[in-house]
Amino acid sequence: MDFKRDILPLKDIIFRTALRITMNREESEDIVQDILLKLWQQRDELETVSNLEAFALTSARNLAIDRISKHEQKNISLVEETHDREDVWQMSAHDCMERDERQSNIASAIATLPEKQRTVLQLRDIEGKAYKEIAEIIGITESDVKVNLFRARGFLKEKLNFLKRDK
Amino acid sequence: MDYKYIEQLIERYFTCETTQQEEQILRSFFSQGDVPSNLSEYADLFRYESSESDVHLGDDFDAKMMELVERKSGMKNNVVSIRGKFTPLFKAAAIVAMVLTIGNAAEQSIGTRPCEDNSDITAINPYIKNENISAAIKVKDNVQQAEIKPAVTSDSLLIEKND
Repeated sequence: MDFKRDILPLKDIIFRTALRITMNREESEDIVQDILLKLWQQRDELETVSNLEAFALTSARNLAIDRISKHEQKNISLVEETHDREDVWQMSAHDCMERDERQSNIASAIATLPEKQRTVLQLRDIEGKAYKEIAEIIGITESDVKVNLFRARGFLKEKLNFLKRDK
Repeated sequence: MDYKYIEQLIERYFTCETTQQEEQILRSFFSQGDVPSNLSEYADLFRYESSESDVHLGDDFDAKMMELVERKSGMKNNVVSIRGKFTPLFKAAAIVAMVLTIGNAAEQSIGTRPCEDNSDITAINPYIKNENISAAIKVKDNVQQAEIKPAVTSDSLLIEKND
């Protein structure tokens, strides 16, 4: 296994998935480093892994959730934390790409979704993954993937209708 | 232009009945400039989805990552590579040592006689003072014959006695 050829190309999909969970660029970059390094150190055992990307994304998601829960433990109010994260998300969204206000509204709406729905939405609608692969990454059934996606898209539809009425 | 197909796809998208390809069609459709006003509310969502797939790490990430990998696994690799590099050398050294040992042993066992001969020559050194080696060997042969002669004589004496 070669680091540059087999492991490094996974960096951006790991980054985007971690970013959707942590909503913090710095934290997500740190997660990417940790995961890539872990993959490289375990390369001998990973020769038998059929889907390295799915394996990497599962590890990245677990690590991101772990980091989030550690941050939440330090915070007194979870509501405050959610607001903080939304602010960070909006800031990072602006930093990372020039998006207009309406796209920021979409980003904020997604940010309020529960983590599982957010990650399913990320893997399906942004990464274009099959239900089967998403199920493998998250460790749930394909029908559970669909349930989570249905709820996430339904919530966004409501939000879009609300924004339209607001205009 | 008829947007019935797109409208249908949107409807199926929200009920999670679209395929990956159909979802890609939606993203591509909304990424182009002209979107009818009745569908504009969905444009933001699909455009957002398209743009998010381009989010990536900074350009300096690769260099940082490579440095980290080299630093973290470098030591481990070095240990392996040093051992790996020196293994043939150790083997060669062991073979050389064996060859030398066997060689020495062989040389000692084969070379016993010439060594003794030399010592004989050394032993009869007093006789070869101011004379050449061949003369010395002659003297040595005489000495050996002199040693054998009494032995034979004593054996023959014994035989004679037994008879």
